[in-house]
Amino acid sequence: MSRYLYHHWLQFKESGFVFIHELQKIFHDSGVMVIFFLGTLAYPFLYKAMYWNEQITNIPVAVVDLSQSPDSRAFLHRWNASPDVKMAYSCNSMAEAEQLLRDQKVHGIIYFPRDYAAQLADPLGQAHISLYCDMSSFLYMKGIYLSCNQVMLESMRNIQIDRYEYMGYGKEFSWALVQDAPYTETALFTPTGGYGSFLIPAVLVMILHQTLFFGICMLAGTVREERTELYRIPGRKRGYSALRTILGRGAAYFLIYYALAAILLGLLPRLFNLPHIGAIEDVLRLNVPFILSVIFMSICVGFCIRNRESGLVLLISTSLVFLFIAGISWPKEMIPAGWRYISYLIPYTWAANGFIHINSMGASLFATRTEYLALWGLTAGYFTLATVMFLIAGYRRDRKESRLASLSGADPLSVSSDSSATQEPETPIQ
Amino acid sequence: MTLMEKGAAEKMPVAVVDLDQTSISRRVCHEMQATSSTDIILITNSFQEAREAMQQGHIYGIFVIPEGFYADLVAFKRPRLDFYITNAYTVGGNTAYKQMLTMANLASGAFQREVLRKKGMPDDVIMNRIQPLAIDAHMLANPWGNYSIYLVSTVLPGILGLIAMMLTIFSIGFELKSRTSREWLRAAGGNYTIAMIGKLIPYTVIYQVLGIVCHLMLYNIAGFPVYGSHTRLLLGLLIFIMAMEIMGIVMIGCLPTLRDALSVGALYAMLGFSLSGFTYPNMSMLPVVQALSNLEPLRHYYLIYVNEALMGAPPINSLPHSMALAAFIIPALCVAPRLHRALIYQNYPLK
Repeated sequence: MSRYLYHHWLQFKESGFVFIHELQKIFHDSGVMVIFFLGTLAYPFLYKAMYWNEQITNIPVAVVDLSQSPDSRAFLHRWNASPDVKMAYSCNSMAEAEQLLRDQKVHGIIYFPRDYAAQLADPLGQAHISLYCDMSSFLYMKGIYLSCNQVMLESMRNIQIDRYEYMGYGKEFSWALVQDAPYTETALFTPTGGYGSFLIPAVLVMILHQTLFFGICMLAGTVREERTELYRIPGRKRGYSALRTILGRGAAYFLIYYALAAILLGLLPRLFNLPHIGAIEDVLRLNVPFILSVIFMSICVGFCIRNRESGLVLLISTSLVFLFIAGISWPKEMIPAGWRYISYLIPYTWAANGFIHINSMGASLFATRTEYLALWGLTAGYFTLATVMFLIAGYRRDRKESRLASLSGADPLSVSSDSSATQEPETPIQ
Repeated sequence: MTLMEKGAAEKMPVAVVDLDQTSISRRVCHEMQATSSTDIILITNSFQEAREAMQQGHIYGIFVIPEGFYADLVAFKRPRLDFYITNAYTVGGNTAYKQMLTMANLASGAFQREVLRKKGMPDDVIMNRIQPLAIDAHMLANPWGNYSIYLVSTVLPGILGLIAMMLTIFSIGFELKSRTSREWLRAAGGNYTIAMIGKLIPYTVIYQVLGIVCHLMLYNIAGFPVYGSHTRLLLGLLIFIMAMEIMGIVMIGCLPTLRDALSVGALYAMLGFSLSGFTYPNMSMLPVVQALSNLEPLRHYYLIYVNEALMGAPPINSLPHSMALAAFIIPALCVAPRLHRALIYQNYPLK
């Protein structure tokens, strides 16, 4: 019994040895340090600085008012009072306004035709306003169009009331006619609709996901270049161990990244005043399978990488694809099915949505169970895959070596046979 | 990239909390279901249930029809509709919001029409009564409000530039790392400029061909609109790619260790996408950040693209940005002596 325990203790010690060794590697590798620490800690601040203002306010627009009437001026007054737009230029002709738009001095044009006031004065007339929006960014269009629409609805109701009163209807009845069912609109979770409040939480998860992925692949590439094998216990020339190397290395990354994730996803939303209505312990609980699944996925990918840098060039551009197919910046319902299935294999999809649900929308961990369990599923899947890959590679190399050794006349039995391959990979259960 | 675009957001899932349960509330549901931008996936009589569905990310909006809606409506008591949208998912939330807003206004319109009809008014007159003021919105250069035109036009060239930059860092850095930089210089007769140009020409040709392919794909095959000149837009793309290559030289020149240069380069290039201002406009960023965005070639390419493709502006408007892209050569010249020395002495650590 004690021998059995001792054996396990040795294995455990070896995992610990791999763990320490991996930490040393991380801290001695300037490239990885840049990615792990500079990347994760500097990026959030840059993004916060970028989206500091949250809203785009005072979008400059040009006014072409051919009607020059009190009605059009009243409309413009009201519109100018909205925070979204600013009447920057008043033009006499469309040509002039178009010139301003082309020079990007304004991002929209509002045009009142000559008969604007006359149409309004006619009890049966319909007046038209033309609105031209710069489409170089959707947020210009949104700001200009929605604020103008709001003013239009308000003005329209006033005009209708005036007309019905003119027809002799009472005020109450007129209102009931014009707006039989008034409405209240409530924006939930980020009432101001800030862009940063929406995007930064997703970006924080992305930063963790991609830097960890990139860093692990870089470390794996280095090991390859040094002609050592990933499945070897460091310092040993022979034998292999899938479980101990994977657990040891995984623990090293987990130690660093769990702390970073706690800072980025726990502390920063509070520091930056982003939405943080969820329970922090739920965020911390979600982080466990998130970090683990990214680690094991990266170990799998890193195993296929021959060289430190070459494949990684392309990995960078995956960030945008991940962000997109996760259904954050673009609704998940609009992602073609094929891409959606791919997105299910990427921890980011589940982690980002889970984090947004908990952190920004105040869901409980129970309500986020789909994402939480999916992350554990990915953890188990990638862990098993990594173990199998390491075992196969180690077994092949071992056989090759013993064949070589027997050819050269050495004793093949001296090859270390301490493989722990028989040990069942323990699937983490939450 | 192009595979996942469908343009405008359609059929966003929403929930209706129907506390009224009358024919009129069901009609509202039917009409909402018939529109292209919303899809009712949940009709319930508990707000709690709808809210939970929203927190689980199943729906983007909740439309509440209050109890006694129909009775109050016919009694002219003006019952109040409520709708809730999520801002945690911007596009989905906005689409649902627009549709609910339209629905709420249309409901009023329909009611008004019924009353006026009963008073014997002809339909065309009623229309002007109901809407005495109308906005004709023109979305310039993208009348369909197509999201993919706006997204892919910047992202695809951006990715191409990013790859060009990373591979430039890699191709020079690899000479340093494998200690072959001296042979490389010797092959060029010891001349740094010739060595650099000779090395980068084949790569540049490949990137430029890719650039042309990318341009043809976007504007000739996918048919994205270009109101200005195709040639100038393409030229802008080509010098953008070269500017990214040059930034690659700057990176490896400043940090002549392959891994450091790659890491810093990756962080730098990723920032370009946000700083270019195609999603969140540059004008709303902090002034410091606005100034910094000039250091990203993608920002300048985006502005050239806006001028040429969307605005059809005269070439003089794009000139400053082309000049800015050309100006990226200056830092490359500054780091040249340092990189040259690094190539000769190979005095930087391998890792």
